Amino acid sequence: MRYALFLEEESMSHIHLPDGVLPIWLWGLGYVVAILVGVILFRFIKREDLTRRLPLLGMMAAAMVLGASVEIVPIAYHVNLTVISGILLGPSLTFLATFVVNVILALFGHGGVTVIGLNTLILSIEGILGYFLFRILWRVLKRLTPAVFLATFLSLLASTLSMIGVVSLGTAHYEELIHQEKKGIIGFEFGKEKEDHQEKTIPGKEVNLKRFIAIVLPLGFIGWVLEGVITSLIARYIYRLRPDLLKLGGNTA
Amino acid sequence: MIQLSYLDYSAVEGKSRLHRLSPKWKIMGMAFVLLLIVTVRNVPGLFLLYLILLALFLGSRIPLKIFSLTFYPLIFAILFIFISGFEPLFILLIFLKVLCGSTGVVLLLATTPYPSIFSFLGKFLPSIFVTALFLTYRSIFILLSVFEETQHALHLRGGIQWRHPWRSLSNVSNAFGHLIIQGIDASEKMYEAMILRGFKDKIHYRGE
Repeated sequence: MRYALFLEEESMSHIHLPDGVLPIWLWGLGYVVAILVGVILFRFIKREDLTRRLPLLGMMAAAMVLGASVEIVPIAYHVNLTVISGILLGPSLTFLATFVVNVILALFGHGGVTVIGLNTLILSIEGILGYFLFRILWRVLKRLTPAVFLATFLSLLASTLSMIGVVSLGTAHYEELIHQEKKGIIGFEFGKEKEDHQEKTIPGKEVNLKRFIAIVLPLGFIGWVLEGVITSLIARYIYRLRPDLLKLGGNTA
Repeated sequence: MIQLSYLDYSAVEGKSRLHRLSPKWKIMGMAFVLLLIVTVRNVPGLFLLYLILLALFLGSRIPLKIFSLTFYPLIFAILFIFISGFEPLFILLIFLKVLCGSTGVVLLLATTPYPSIFSFLGKFLPSIFVTALFLTYRSIFILLSVFEETQHALHLRGGIQWRHPWRSLSNVSNAFGHLIIQGIDASEKMYEAMILRGFKDKIHYRGE
């Protein structure tokens, strides 16, 4: 039970991939795609607007860092705050905020340096998708709490699925790591992830992604619900005190 | 998050050889550690690297309280146990890679003041990213004090209790909402102050 809670805290919504686990081509590609996405998103925002909103971005990124490090004791959970940040900052700034959060968390040892690109892409899915889903659901439902809850739940589901997708792309690399236990003291291996790993496969020692998914998804479900409830309550609190921040442009229930 | 103040204190007040070493060399050293993490694929090699990093950690007289930070990424690494089919050497390999990475970065941050790291990153990253990093790091301390006050108030009034999970959840969410609103107000004041001081897209760091 203690172990289950231990996993539950971190694996449900903000999974930070560590260094040295994924193949070089995968995290390298993560950086390339993150740069491309960043360039595209920053075309949609004016330079003056970006400069003006930088302190706000810093504050929201800091809130995300704090959220990731503060445990809610009775339920043993760490909040993520990516969706509420997405709603408040918009897609372009959320992407930059997520990048900054990942750099700072990596410097604290809360995630890999090599995988900052991939982690940024996975986490920003929550913020960006959360922003768009919230806008759509708000127009359809006209009710704040269900709109925020559903937007959060679906965004976290999407980010967890993309994390599983990223992890599954490294299958050949994990198999190679499993089957090269008998190499020399320091075996430098650049870009040889896919080489002859099938020949060396030993029965019972294969990579088992199904087991990984079977652990992540049920725990993830608890996380999506909790994060959805917390984000809805935060949005409701903000609506009561500063409705202008949510830019709803109408009445809510 | 309390370790953050220890990290900052250690980075600024530490007097060891590693503290006195130029940030450029420490960052290059960290890059070399990362290169080894992604290329070395056997347990003895990584164990040796981990021992070297541990020796540097202890030799730099960094507060031991910070050391617990290096174990945090193991939480995700545990999930890889299920991928490997409980293969002990694979698990050890992954754990050592993760521990080497986290010990390396914590060692870097505990011996190098953050403005030095960010200004070095400014040579490679666009100025807007580095400014965002500076502002975020500064904002963490501002929000931390707001959050600690709110947290104390919640505890004193029995706002977080095992017996009332829903009420606890609601109170914690309100605390985060309060934190966000306070943060937004503070960011507006911060922007006004920055404009008054002549801020134009970039924060200039004058060094030590």
